[in-house]
Order: sequence, then structure tokens, then C-alpha cells
Amino acid sequence: MSKDMKFLVVDDYSTMRRIVKNLLHDLGYANVTEADDGKTALPLLQNGSFDFLITDWNMPGMPGLDLLKAVRSNDKLKKLPVLMLTAEAKREQIVEAAQAGVSGYVIKPFTAVTLKEKIDKILGAQAA
Amino acid sequence: MSQPAALRESAQRASDDGRGPDLLAQLQDLTCNLRTALDRFRLDSRLTRLAEKEVPDARERLQHVLKLTEQAAHRTLDLVEQSCPPADRTAKEAAALAEPWSRFRAGTITVSDYCDLVNRVDKFLLATRTDSEKVRANLNEVLLAQDYQDLTGQIIRGVMTLVSEVEVVLVDLAHLAGTTGGNNGPTAEELARGTGPVVPGVEQGAAVVNGQADIDALLSDLGM
Repeated sequence: MSKDMKFLVVDDYSTMRRIVKNLLHDLGYANVTEADDGKTALPLLQNGSFDFLITDWNMPGMPGLDLLKAVRSNDKLKKLPVLMLTAEAKREQIVEAAQAGVSGYVIKPFTAVTLKEKIDKILGAQAA
Repeated sequence: MSQPAALRESAQRASDDGRGPDLLAQLQDLTCNLRTALDRFRLDSRLTRLAEKEVPDARERLQHVLKLTEQAAHRTLDLVEQSCPPADRTAKEAAALAEPWSRFRAGTITVSDYCDLVNRVDKFLLATRTDSEKVRANLNEVLLAQDYQDLTGQIIRGVMTLVSEVEVVLVDLAHLAGTTGGNNGPTAEELARGTGPVVPGVEQGAAVVNGQADIDALLSDLGM
């Protein structure tokens, strides 16, 4: 998968966005855009040509689960890989995210290795 | 003799004398109502003070904690980001020098390559010293950026004391109202919005996973 891929990182905490952005840079992905919740992310996704979405769950405005559902119900975006990067740890929530079509789920606090593994796994499955 | 006891005694005498057999019961009701009213009044005063002054103050204090932690995190990230280029530069040039250096050690280097190597090593030593000093200074700044913990810790402890006080008032109120509560766990709507991280020792009201391995196993069971 090309390192020119466009990532959108959605999190209401700017520090977390910076951490993820730095980790993505380390993995060679330099094209990273940020948004602070689902409401600001959705128009960016609709108007841009993003290849990968990494989103938090618990955010003011539109939470990550609603963003995921909006993405999956949009013809243009429905195949977009969506990685949930969140502190939400209830089994019920993870099952709901899976049913809503999440591509991967990483629990905070997380490591750079876990993030890389999940991104690689999603991209590998997409390429297969 | 205390006033309620004196009242009780007078009422008892009245009752013994056959003067108003219901007087004792009425006085007991009255005393009970008076005590409840006084308790309510005391609670009301405490509630008013908490609601008007201390809870808004606590909100401001926590806002300040958010600001301090965010500033410290950004400062640390700035310093890490500033430290990466000099560290990368050192690693890259050291790797680039390894090949001509091994030729020099093996005695197979040409004179012109040797002169080039000496110039590059001169520059490398100077640059590495400057870059290392920069990284070291940044690490010191990272160290200092952690001082927020002392300040935020003190503020959070103060807010915890207030929360304990609010808890006492609310429990008193619940007793007065004669209600008993129960933890029903988060609603479906709350779960959909997100309920935040798991906190050790705090009942979650729902089954939680224990780390990434648990999530991977759960998703695998779901066919992902």
C-alpha cells in the first residue's frame, strides 16, 4: 500500500491527534489531516479523497460510532477503512462497533507497535 | 433536663392526668417534624453554599487542570518533535560514514576517499556535538514540563475533598427523602456516546475487556 495514502485522524484532544500523527509519520505516512469530532470529520471525508480513517469514540458533537455509521451508509465512503482508537472498553460497545462495520479496534492506552499492526492488518485485508 | 425531654415529661403527665390522651403522640409528631425541618434547613444551607460557590469554583479548578495538562503535553510533544531531526541526522550520517570507515580500517581506501572521509568525520563530530547538546537541552525541558503534576495533583485533591462533602450532603438528602438508589449501569444511549476509560476500582456496570488481546479475541469470535 502506498505511503502517499491520505489519513484522517479524528479525536477531540489535540495532543492525541499529534501523537497519532507523529506515529503515522514514523510509519512513513506523511499525508495526515486532523478533525476534532465526527461533525467536522464528515464533510472533510465527503469532500476529500481519504484512504484511511482513524477515529476516537467519545467526542462531543458527533461521537465516533455515529461517524462510523455515517461513513458506512454513504455510497462514496462505505468501503473506507475505519480504525477505532478509543478508551471505550465495554464488550457491548466493541460488538456494536463490529456490527456497525469497524475495520479495526485499538484500545487506549496503546503502543506504536499495536497501531502499526492494526493498520497493516486492515490494509492487508483490503489488498487481498 | 433537655427541652424535648421536658416536653415529653409534661405530655406524659398530661396523659397520666387523663388530659388529652393524644397529646403525647401529637407532641412526638411535632418534635419529629421540627427535627426534619431543621435537618432540611441545615442541608439547604450546605447545599446552597456548595451549589453557589464551591461547585462552580471546582469546575474552574478542573478547567485549569485541563489547561495545564494540555499545555504540558503540547510542550513535551514540541520538544520531542524538535529532537527528532537532530537525532535522525546523527543516525543517518553515522550510517553513511560506516562504509568508507570500514574501507579505511581494512586499508583499502583511496587517498582521495580518505581525504573526503577525514573532512566528513570532522563535520560529523562538530554536528553531533551541537545536535546532542540540543537533544540534551530538550530532554531537560521535557523533564521540567512534568512539573504540572505537582500543581494539578494539589488541585485535584482539593476537588476530591469537595466531592466527598457533596456525597455526604446527597446521602443525607436521600435519607431524608427516604429513597434508596441502585447502580443500573450505563444506558444504551450512554454507551453509544461513549463512557470514557475504565478506571480501576470503579464499577463499570457492564462487562469490560481487559486490554488489546481481549479485544482481538472478541473481534476474532465475531469473525473479524
